Amino acid sequence: MKKLVLLFGMLVFLAACNQADDLPVVVTGEAISVEKAMSQELPEMSVYHLPATWTNQDAQEIQLEDMRGKVVVMVMIYTSCKSACPRLVADMRNIERQVPKEYLDEIQFVMVSIDPETDTPQRLKAFSEENQMTDDHWMFLRGSEADTREFAAVLAVSYRQISPIDFSHSNIISVFDKDGVLVHQKEGLGVDSEETITAIHQELQR
Amino acid sequence: MKTIFRLAVAIAVMIQSQTFGQSESMVKIEGGSYLPLYGTEQEVVVGDFLMDVTPVTNQDFLEFLQENPQWKKSQVRPLFADSNYLATWPSDDSYGANLPSAPVTMISWYAAKNYCEWLEMRLPTIDEWEYVAMASATRPDGRQEAGFQKTILGLYEAPNTYKNEVGTTFRNYWGVEDLHGLVWEWTMDFNSIMIGGESRKDSAGGGNLFCAGAAVGASDVKDYAAFMRYTFRGSVKAKYAVKNLGFRCVKDLPADQNKN
Amino acid sequence: MNKKNNKNRRWYAAVFLMTVMGMGLFTSCDKAVAEKKDPETIKVYGETIAELTAPPMVPRPVGDRAATKLKIEMEVIEKEMEMADGVTYNYWTFDGSVPGSFIRARVGDEIEFTLKNHPDSKLPHNIDLHAVNGPGGGAEATFVAPGQQRTFTFKTLNPGLYVYHCATAPVGMHIANGMYGLILVEPEGGLPPVDREYYVMQGDFYTEGEYGERGFQAFDMNKAIKEQADYVVFNGKVGGITGENELYAEVGETVRIFMGNGGPNLVSSFHIIGEIFDTVRLEGGDLVNHNVQTTLIPAGGAATVEFKVDVPGELVLVDHSIFRAFNKGALGILNVHGKENTKVFDDNFEAEPYNPEPILGSAPIEDGEPEEKAVEVLSLADKMERGKTVYNQTCMACHQTTGQGIAGVFPPLAESDYLNADVTRAIKSVKHGLSGEIEVNGNIYNSVMPPQALSDEDVANVLTYVYKNWGNNGTEVTTEMVKAVN
Repeated sequence: MKKLVLLFGMLVFLAACNQADDLPVVVTGEAISVEKAMSQELPEMSVYHLPATWTNQDAQEIQLEDMRGKVVVMVMIYTSCKSACPRLVADMRNIERQVPKEYLDEIQFVMVSIDPETDTPQRLKAFSEENQMTDDHWMFLRGSEADTREFAAVLAVSYRQISPIDFSHSNIISVFDKDGVLVHQKEGLGVDSEETITAIHQELQR
Repeated sequence: MKTIFRLAVAIAVMIQSQTFGQSESMVKIEGGSYLPLYGTEQEVVVGDFLMDVTPVTNQDFLEFLQENPQWKKSQVRPLFADSNYLATWPSDDSYGANLPSAPVTMISWYAAKNYCEWLEMRLPTIDEWEYVAMASATRPDGRQEAGFQKTILGLYEAPNTYKNEVGTTFRNYWGVEDLHGLVWEWTMDFNSIMIGGESRKDSAGGGNLFCAGAAVGASDVKDYAAFMRYTFRGSVKAKYAVKNLGFRCVKDLPADQNKN
Repeated sequence: MNKKNNKNRRWYAAVFLMTVMGMGLFTSCDKAVAEKKDPETIKVYGETIAELTAPPMVPRPVGDRAATKLKIEMEVIEKEMEMADGVTYNYWTFDGSVPGSFIRARVGDEIEFTLKNHPDSKLPHNIDLHAVNGPGGGAEATFVAPGQQRTFTFKTLNPGLYVYHCATAPVGMHIANGMYGLILVEPEGGLPPVDREYYVMQGDFYTEGEYGERGFQAFDMNKAIKEQADYVVFNGKVGGITGENELYAEVGETVRIFMGNGGPNLVSSFHIIGEIFDTVRLEGGDLVNHNVQTTLIPAGGAATVEFKVDVPGELVLVDHSIFRAFNKGALGILNVHGKENTKVFDDNFEAEPYNPEPILGSAPIEDGEPEEKAVEVLSLADKMERGKTVYNQTCMACHQTTGQGIAGVFPPLAESDYLNADVTRAIKSVKHGLSGEIEVNGNIYNSVMPPQALSDEDVANVLTYVYKNWGNNGTEVTTEMVKAVN
């Protein structure tokens, strides 16, 4: 029985491969292994080992590893949040402003939704526009519930749905190096972002 | 194209789930609503689902490792398990002196999650777990029964219970065993607990570390057993492997059975 | 100023004023330097691994050492230990003892504190040190799952004696299970030297069974919430500082006790029977009081008491909320050895009869013959063993460890003529109590012993134990003999 399921699974996978042709950023399973063979192995602690597939604000399917080579600054939010998230978004913008322009294409600012059900790609798109975060270095992601939970586990972010429209969650901004290894975390709202910016600079210089 | 494959997978999953649904290792839990200790001021609704009667054992886990060698202790990625992972196992392929039918412990959340997924199942949510765990031997909610809390506290205090075999504590109303008194258990959303280690501050609201902090107060300050479970969950990270922390899996009922 | 004052006078006055002002200025400057040295700016020299001690001992004084980087490692261990004879409890501990290890630092030290949680622990734990200036006293920074360890650092800014405790939810339960201890931050130059220093901490415990009920006793949440303690003890158990654990000093020595109260609920009225505290550092802080009989120690607080022991004998440490001492275990002994000093204390006086009016009609005491031996249920060895336990729980507080009693108050059971003369009377005394004047070994006692709530079997056991010890006549008392006495 298990083998049967596996077989079906593989077929689905192939289907995804076919679709890859018209989506510029999709990296298929096979492509990953090729790329791995070509470049050096991912470090053991890289979050790019997480196998999940995510969807961005342009409805493109991506894997975290697609961001390899860039410094990633990441925060988990949900777009209907009225209390802490606007401040987290402001903190992210504040950090972005302090990164010299010439570095902006080496860095990816990522907001991962903890409410994937509500935060459809359309919603994420609208949110990015409302917040004037439409440049390429901004990315908004949603994934499956389980994958989101797993990703939060890696970041040590806690969250819980407390009503149909509200979540409680920890406010943590994380910085990853170019290979997806977590190098810095700052917890709290409107906290001094100096350390975070220093960490980003260090990683950019590498 | 895609739809056809989806259909095929769905059928396969259904066949698979029926086999499990009928097996005696799982029992059906009828959903309902209840007020958890933490995290919300309203009752939460729990749907119907199937739950493992007992926690996953060393023998079960060994079988998982044989088919999924990436989770063997020599091969597991440090991102997914700390250095305590399966520390009491003498080798990749043996649980050594641990009893075959004792609950597997010293496994990370990632390993537990992958184990369940391997069997087309998943880890229970905290709400599901707590909902089942409030059952006494005779009632779905035994929390107000005289002596129930005391018994559970007593079970929690007994040392080294992780060494015992599964099925050695009481069977509750649903037919589920060992929820209390053997090991703590991983849940899918263990990291939904807003306990930062400073429980006194937490009970006054989480400050600016957590959004919507006001909702983190406890609903029943006398439910010590639940406090102990929730603080335990709050103290662990997903890659921790802890001696008295195991897990069990649950499974959603297929859509047609869910309507019963 | 009065214009009629002549110049001379003015001049003198001015000089005088300036001198006074100058002196004042100097003194205040000196003081300012000594007192207002910001502890935060105190430099640290080198690294030191902290010496930690289990109660009742304390680490060496800091003396005049410079501030240092002090590394402290503590381990949380959950383990079953004895609460009283025949009674066990599942303690949660810092370093395996209740209270946990004593920490000794000086002001200005940079402390690197690592908390380890033993892999066998069932629960996460943390530590809140009251000596910390910072959120949670370190609670959040040390919140640690079983089989993990965490570190944080802090600088000791305030000298004093501080409690530390676990602050993991449910907080009360963690404290009630024994998770507390003391950290001393000495001022620059250290506390004045004394001859002996000890570490004692009071705590209240809540068990499913009543005081003394044998076997393993689980924590009772409801009693804890109602603050109805079954045990109030020093250093974690009944007998924590009596018998082989008693404290020791020699006549003429100065003794300092670092006395803490872990609670979780009760406030201690700390008193030492037969001693006056020469000095009390109130609440562990800078305020010093002298000549104190009883000092109040809040739950989660501490005090330092100092006294010179002048005469030999047993000094009894109690919580003077006195039922706690005699019925719940809050009793300890400081045994002072050395030469008598009759100038300070002399009890070598014979008692004389004192009858304001003649006593009439006191019931004649029957001289009963020992009954015939009945069928024995317990072997003699078992009886002795059980009898010893009963003695330690029920009799020892008054009649003392080796039956020596306390002169003038509690008659001796050792080599006791009163006891050996009449076994029926002895049984009767234990069963129904004894009051009024009696003569034991030539001394008159006039006190009250309440009836003891013991089974007939235990009366037999304990009396057998007493009769077969301490130079008594070896009578074996049986349950039937006890039953026969009404």
